[in-house]
Amino acid sequence: MAVFQLDTHPGRSLQLLLFTDVLNTKELLLSMQMGSLHPEVAFFNASMVPDIFPILAAAHKTLLAQSQGNMLTRTLHSELIYNYSGSKHITESLRRCGITDNTQYVLAARFDCSEEELKAVRQLLQGAEVNLQGLEKRGDKTQIQKHYKITNPELEISSLGEAITCRIATRDAS
Amino acid sequence: MDVAREQVGDGELAGNLLKQGAEARVYKSSFMGREAVVKERFAKKYRHASLDSKLTLKRLLGEARSMIKARKLGVRTPVVFAVDSLSRTLTFEFVTGSLIKDILLQSGPISENTILEDIASQIGKAIARLHDGGLIHGDLTTSNMILHSEKQELVMIDFGLSFTSSLPEDKAVDLYVLERALISLHSSNGNVMEQVLASYRQSSKYWSSTLNKLAQVQMRGRKRVMVG
Repeated sequence: MAVFQLDTHPGRSLQLLLFTDVLNTKELLLSMQMGSLHPEVAFFNASMVPDIFPILAAAHKTLLAQSQGNMLTRTLHSELIYNYSGSKHITESLRRCGITDNTQYVLAARFDCSEEELKAVRQLLQGAEVNLQGLEKRGDKTQIQKHYKITNPELEISSLGEAITCRIATRDAS
Repeated sequence: MDVAREQVGDGELAGNLLKQGAEARVYKSSFMGREAVVKERFAKKYRHASLDSKLTLKRLLGEARSMIKARKLGVRTPVVFAVDSLSRTLTFEFVTGSLIKDILLQSGPISENTILEDIASQIGKAIARLHDGGLIHGDLTTSNMILHSEKQELVMIDFGLSFTSSLPEDKAVDLYVLERALISLHSSNGNVMEQVLASYRQSSKYWSSTLNKLAQVQMRGRKRVMVG
């Protein structure tokens, strides 16, 4: 678990929690689709997240969209996943970078999370909470490279996380 | 610099101004705990507002796109952190290192200096990769290149004038601009360009047509003669 202060948006923060062996993603997915998930949380397929930094870049983009009133999805937290995906296709983004019925390795994220909300988030997920440090090792490099279209020559001069960050930042430019 | 500061006014970033150019101001800032650079393209009052916003936006997005394209081609550029079309800003990584310009100005002739030789080779290789991928930098000067202080790797910056083209003409002019910059500022370093071109030749698949064209461009200058 860790809290990140988002320095480009003073006063806002992002809480991250990592879980393995989550068994109830199917129900979580359902309640999300019904809009009955409380508190509102973003669930990432953690194997698509090799580094925290791109998540923070996506968080910046999300808060910017919120303040400018040009969000493209229904909620702040689905916008976070959509932005993280670096793609313009919302459904595809949520499926690839969010959770599906059988995802077991989950990164949960919530903006400006209070103590009580944090407890509630922990209760939502039936799984074992682990240290965020494990992200890099357990990232699915092949899937990530495929999804973000990252070539090998690019990885000679860039880390996986940086390559993802660039794609998140420039999605709307291309 | 003082003049520039006055124009900035009292915005929150005003104290961190790094550079002011004709089209943009560059500030030092931070992004999610990492040192960052913010490049803000300001509005030009003398242009019609709608034309101005169209042009500025096009250049802003074009620059971001080119930086990413360069990375995809294996050329190190600053990591792009954010693009904001509303405030016309581009936020990217602050690269710690020295400008190639300063390194050259502080060094002697290339023939006695293996570090310079390595730098020149890296420059040639990077340009070859850009050109082979159809990307023209558009402003290849020694102040638009940084040697990363830790990894000793070349980082290309300022893609504000870059565009895509696979014409030998455009590539040759790109190289010619660098040659002129080297001759005018770094003649005391000996023939750096020779080493750059040697490495370009090794790395580029299309070196022969580009270098042939370069010979023509050297004869006539950067601008094409449009007579007859």
